[in-house]
Amino acid sequence: MPIGKDEILRIANLARLFVSEEEIGPLQRHLNGILEHFERLKELDLEGIDPFAFECDTAGSSRQDAVSVWPGREDVLAQAPNREGDFFRVPRILDESDEVHLDECR
Amino acid sequence: MNAAEMAKAVREAKISAVEIAEGAIGRIRLIDSDVRALLTPLFERALEKAEEIDRKIELKQDPGPLAGVPVIVKDNLCMRGQVTTCGSRMLENWRPPYDASVVRFLEEAGAVILGKANMDEFAMGSSTENSAFFPTANPWDLERVPGGSSGGSAAAVACGYVPLALGSDTGGSIRQPAAFCGVYGLKPTYGLVSRFGLVAFASSLDQVGPFARSVEDLALAMNVLSKPDPADATSSWTTRPDYAAFLGRENLKGMKVGLVSEFEDYPVQSEITEALARVESILREAGAEFVPVSLPTTIEAGLPCYYILAPAEASSNLARYDGVRYGLSAEAESLMDLYMKTRGLGFGPEVKRRILTGTYVLSSGYYDAYYLVAQKARIRISREFRSAFEGADMILMPTTPTLPFRKGEHQDDPIQMYLSDVFTLPVNLAGLPGLSLNAGYSKSGLPVGVQFVGPKWGEGTLLAAAEAVERVLGKPTCAFGGEKA
Repeated sequence: MPIGKDEILRIANLARLFVSEEEIGPLQRHLNGILEHFERLKELDLEGIDPFAFECDTAGSSRQDAVSVWPGREDVLAQAPNREGDFFRVPRILDESDEVHLDECR
Repeated sequence: MNAAEMAKAVREAKISAVEIAEGAIGRIRLIDSDVRALLTPLFERALEKAEEIDRKIELKQDPGPLAGVPVIVKDNLCMRGQVTTCGSRMLENWRPPYDASVVRFLEEAGAVILGKANMDEFAMGSSTENSAFFPTANPWDLERVPGGSSGGSAAAVACGYVPLALGSDTGGSIRQPAAFCGVYGLKPTYGLVSRFGLVAFASSLDQVGPFARSVEDLALAMNVLSKPDPADATSSWTTRPDYAAFLGRENLKGMKVGLVSEFEDYPVQSEITEALARVESILREAGAEFVPVSLPTTIEAGLPCYYILAPAEASSNLARYDGVRYGLSAEAESLMDLYMKTRGLGFGPEVKRRILTGTYVLSSGYYDAYYLVAQKARIRISREFRSAFEGADMILMPTTPTLPFRKGEHQDDPIQMYLSDVFTLPVNLAGLPGLSLNAGYSKSGLPVGVQFVGPKWGEGTLLAAAEAVERVLGKPTCAFGGEKA
């Protein structure tokens, strides 16, 4: 079943990605194109293949659980778009209705 | 001069690293306003590094195997304190607090990094037109694309700015631009080169590798790059060979080269078919034996399999760009609003397409039907390659189905763009090494590339075969004339 506009908006919300009205049509066409292409995979004989039995001959060895030198906290925090002291600052997480609910809990 | 000759001359104090860097900077200033391979020049820093190399020479210290060799790295490789944009508005002002391991390996070997190369945003694209900043042109025809996503790195080597550049290859992003720009591009076996500090796109497919204009330089670069790295959990601890030891073979006697029976019917431009025939006859002449091999479902299944798995991994990897810790951050009233707006503003159309595709195939109710099926198909493709390599030491196949296309030609049709990687992406799915080499030029003067694919850890065979071709066809020449840096 082709993906409709509502489905695009549902996925965009899952991906936390704002999609404008103009973007929806092209995204719909693209996604449906990919899924159509994907139908070919369903014709393959994939019986008996364990999707997680990936042959891994590149496995690294484990390393010592030892502290190593790493850039200081300041180097990392310096990249923060919005900081307060040693914290990342974000907009309010709970909206007012959540706060009412929290009050009730208390 | 190639990189090996340059490093030798610097170590023997016949030329200074500063002179070499100045020459390369001069050529970039002359040409790059037309080609636009560089996103961020690092000339001042480069000249300081070159002075350090020259001081070491004066003090009779060894600066390393890449002493004074100018290089350019793709802008998805982190350099401490230097803007690393990944071709995206999202990271326009981001300065990583650490170096990618490969950047460190290059500098420890004495290389001088001249700048960061343009690329498709987050390495998603096949033309470098998806860079959020500007497109790069193909050095051989400015109206055409250089390929992608490592288009800037490939163009920089083709223009003769530098003898070596680094790119990354998730589905063909080194080999396809190498073919389009007429240079060598090597995508190593998964796990051979560290991914630490490579901005992640699809972690099970991404691999860093070199561009060069000589096989000798590819081997030199691999000796510097392919080190086990404790900072990358997928880095292999296999002992690395000396890649230079694969060169200088008198002939290719005993080498079996596979030709894929199923590829014969796939539509490929005639210049590419001719180039394949040319390379086949050179390898035969050198003593290689040709055998038919079969990859029954690889070409049909590769593309849909890749375009499920790579976006799935990308949607997960790119979840980190949330406007909180680094990168772009939109004005917002609530946290949800911050996420939605930051990501809506920061990502371009192709990145959005892939994030949404990936989110869809991983979402509840669709995971089994898409992601798991694609994962099974991936294993099947790996097994097909493994069977093929039971009877062959390497495979000769096209790098791309077409010559470099015009700018804008595929911009409205993403699937046509994806088809550009139909011969390269199965190699990533199977975690194998692939080398694209120039095999001549079309009548209109466009480079024509072909691809060698090997079994895991088979880079040496690919280098030996490429050298045999280089002996006959010569080293790739620079666009805009002259054999420069």
